[in-house]
Amino acid sequence: MRKKVMAVLVAASMVLSLTACGGSGDSSSNNTEGKTETEAAGGENELTVWCWDPAFNMYAMEEAEKEYQKENPDFKLNIVETPWADVQTKLTTAASSGDLSSLPDILLMQDNAFQKNVISYPDAFADLTGSGIDFASFAGAKTAYSVVEGKNYGVPFDNGAVIACYRTDILEQAGYTVDDFTDISWSEYIKIGKDVLEKTGKPLLSCLSGESDLIVMMLQSAGASLFDEEGNPSMVDNAALKEVMDTYAELVKSGVLVEVNDWDQYIGTMTNSTVAGTINGCWIMASIQTAEDQSGKWAITNMPKLDKAADATNYSNNGGSSWAVTTNCKNMELAEDFLAKTFAGSVAFYETILPASGAIATYSPAAKSDVYSEPQEFFGGAPVYAQISEFASKVPSNNTGVYYYEARDAVATAVTNIVAGADVETEIAAAEDTVNFAMGK
Amino acid sequence: MSGPNKKLTLSRKQNLSGWAFLTPAAILIAAMSFYPMFRALILSFKTGVGLNMKWAGTYNYVRMFQDAVFMQALKNNFIYLIFQVPIMLVLALVLASLLNNKDLRFKGFFRTAIFLPCATSLVSYAVIFRSLFAVDGLINTVLINTGLLSTGYNFLGHATSARIIIILALIWRWTGYNMVFYLSGLQNIEYSIYEAAKIDGASPWQVFWKMTVPLLRPTILLTAIMSTNGTLQLFDESVNLTNGGPANATITMSHYIYNMSFKYVPNFGYAAAMSYLILILVAVLAFLQMKAGDKRD
Amino acid sequence: MTKGKKIISYTFLSIVSLLSIFPLYWMVIAATNKSVDVSRGTMLPGMELINNFKNLVASQNVLNAMTNSFKYAIAMTVLSLAICSLAGYGFEIFHDRGKDMVMSVILLAMMVPFAATMIPLYQLFSKAHLLNSTAGFILPMISTPFLIMLFRQSARSFPHDIIEAARMDGLNEFQIFYKMFFPTMRSTYAAAMTITFMNAWNSYLWPKVIMSDTKSATMPMLVANLTEGYVTDYGMLMLSVVFCTIPTIVIFFLLQKSFAEGITGAVK
Repeated sequence: MRKKVMAVLVAASMVLSLTACGGSGDSSSNNTEGKTETEAAGGENELTVWCWDPAFNMYAMEEAEKEYQKENPDFKLNIVETPWADVQTKLTTAASSGDLSSLPDILLMQDNAFQKNVISYPDAFADLTGSGIDFASFAGAKTAYSVVEGKNYGVPFDNGAVIACYRTDILEQAGYTVDDFTDISWSEYIKIGKDVLEKTGKPLLSCLSGESDLIVMMLQSAGASLFDEEGNPSMVDNAALKEVMDTYAELVKSGVLVEVNDWDQYIGTMTNSTVAGTINGCWIMASIQTAEDQSGKWAITNMPKLDKAADATNYSNNGGSSWAVTTNCKNMELAEDFLAKTFAGSVAFYETILPASGAIATYSPAAKSDVYSEPQEFFGGAPVYAQISEFASKVPSNNTGVYYYEARDAVATAVTNIVAGADVETEIAAAEDTVNFAMGK
Repeated sequence: MSGPNKKLTLSRKQNLSGWAFLTPAAILIAAMSFYPMFRALILSFKTGVGLNMKWAGTYNYVRMFQDAVFMQALKNNFIYLIFQVPIMLVLALVLASLLNNKDLRFKGFFRTAIFLPCATSLVSYAVIFRSLFAVDGLINTVLINTGLLSTGYNFLGHATSARIIIILALIWRWTGYNMVFYLSGLQNIEYSIYEAAKIDGASPWQVFWKMTVPLLRPTILLTAIMSTNGTLQLFDESVNLTNGGPANATITMSHYIYNMSFKYVPNFGYAAAMSYLILILVAVLAFLQMKAGDKRD
Repeated sequence: MTKGKKIISYTFLSIVSLLSIFPLYWMVIAATNKSVDVSRGTMLPGMELINNFKNLVASQNVLNAMTNSFKYAIAMTVLSLAICSLAGYGFEIFHDRGKDMVMSVILLAMMVPFAATMIPLYQLFSKAHLLNSTAGFILPMISTPFLIMLFRQSARSFPHDIIEAARMDGLNEFQIFYKMFFPTMRSTYAAAMTITFMNAWNSYLWPKVIMSDTKSATMPMLVANLTEGYVTDYGMLMLSVVFCTIPTIVIFFLLQKSFAEGITGAVK
């Protein structure tokens, strides 16, 4: 019997060692691969980049590589396609584990997440102040997203300037043109909107329920924020926020704004012509343009402004991203020089990427380029890229703070309840409590 | 004297070979699950951002009961659990016993079709569920055409209907999955027992409750524990179907824990503490289920 | 079965099957249409399948992702089944109070959300220099409480007299497992294989965190890549989803006979 027990033990341990062998065998071979990669990335002329959109920011990086190779033929980029949610997960995991070695040299970061990440993980990001990158040549409100305690941590990339898009053919049926929507206020917008709805049966605007995008756009257009200078929530007694909430509720009530439940349906309202327009970051143009049969029927202008707020403007921002350099970068000079000579220094580069990807720069010198003034047939022959660049230069800054995502979600909850009939001030107070709770206050 | 002595060593040896059988799996679980769980337990008594964690005692555990969003999530999870798990398991049992019929044709097709939902990618199934229940979606169109509604109802925009949709989605997705285990469990029961029961004049209903269910008890226990665990850790549907909305009415604990770790300012101490509450809840429920169902006849 | 009961059975099964298949149908239809038509809610086949395929292949390395997914999923399924069935058998056949206790403790391992244990696990692998390695990818997913318990519960119906008889015949414990239990429990193995393969195939979060290079991308990662970005090409996306779903369905279809149509008679 003893022999048999031994046999079982041997058999069991064989299975175990099989895994162990398989494991270690694989790991050693992969480790060598990993090593050669890091050496190549760290030592010579190669940089690893994480970004996520093949038609957009990945394309831009590839073109930047070509641009930089003109002077440095040995230069190479290793672009790893990584969706934003995964960039954030991997970054958080690596930084929380105290092992930054898996991070790339450069990564693309959503502007909304910049403050949170730099302040939570100060050791993970390289301070780019004084690196020779000319931050003054970018729109001020854009650069502000990646400035922490006066230091620059990001090179601004794509533009999130807000545009209002309208279907000129639908407006015409109701007797309006896009000029009637330029430099207007929200009360005028609602007034015309009701008329358009009555005459054509189409709302002016669709929007995702449970999201705070439009709320925050409206707020920022008046230079207001959800946080004060010290980073404390400032929602209660924030006159602009209350006006925004009231306006939003009225938009829904009047039927001028129709709420949908998800992004696909939101895009569907435009491609199916169930709405007469939209208001969003300028990147929304790419989705609008997928409906090729609507070419020539769209026009863009600036967004409506708040009626009462003191510093109200017709300009705001939604979305956009910036490049960050991590401290895992072994060749900091190369990374800085690469960014300085491409994203922060080459008008020619921006001229190349614009027509193919629609990536509108926040780099001010590029906006003066002829390519930006080309008329765009889809938008009725208007030079929309130049228009957007002009909008971008007028956007007031937004104080995002570290707890920006918490605040946005709290505000989204509040606005959902307000639309369902809850009291505005009670809900705003509840939202501020939620954020204070998250901050441990 | 030699008889009992020999027997003792024999059973001791068998006992030892039993341990040998389960050692590889146990070692892997210890390293890959219990070690990280132990680290997370320590973390749950700390607070702070990033690498700057300070000892905080039971602060996180007290905090979660003052957290309105987390309490809402806890409530949501229990609503899903109470309605979804029993309906799904009974439905899976019924389908499995229907499909265990030797005379039935197209069995392969039916089985594959009913299993399909859990193999269908989340991406496409979320898109479809959302568009089906949209204000201008198929369900509303049908309800309007049959005169049950006059205007479209925003199913995902109201708390109760949004929760019902999540429950429906879960039943749709996991019934076929559980059916697989019942089907395979039924193979270990002699088919002739069924035939005999039928000849004795037992109705299908009696056969189902008096024979199928008791004979499948070990498998039912397994699926009940797994489904309880799955529902209390529910994440996919909350994120992809409703994004927790409207106004957190459908958010789950796991969704909130994920937000706390990767969307908001990372607070891993708090996330770990909330995770341990889930562990306690599932463990208690699993213990009760084992008490009731893990008997050897 | 009477005719009436038969009609009820078939009708019920047909309705359930139809509801189950519908999203898959939509997915295939979407894969043959232009993105804009998908967002307009078309339910009819289109002419864009070839174009969608060309676009997909141009933007993503589908072959590489398919190969990786198969490699990882097969390795995980084989190892997982071997180790967990051994353990499940051990827990049941040699059960005593100690082992029942250990089983209960092992169940605890699945009760904590992964978001909470991911970072300690990552630290473990970083210390072991297993980041970016195949071992790092599959090790955490081999031994699962679920599979162990599945085999433990199934072993309960394995007749003890067979084991006694085999012991009399001089077979050792491992031989009994391998020669008696393994062939008898084919239906359980087939069910476990389907589920494990599916879970391994669809695993996303941990692989994504531990793997950093493009070369090791799997099918779910490829699908995720296509959903990011300012514009989603739904036709192309759904084609990739179809590719990502087919292997699981094929495996299920091939194995369903072995776990649903009794072959247990062989031993009895």
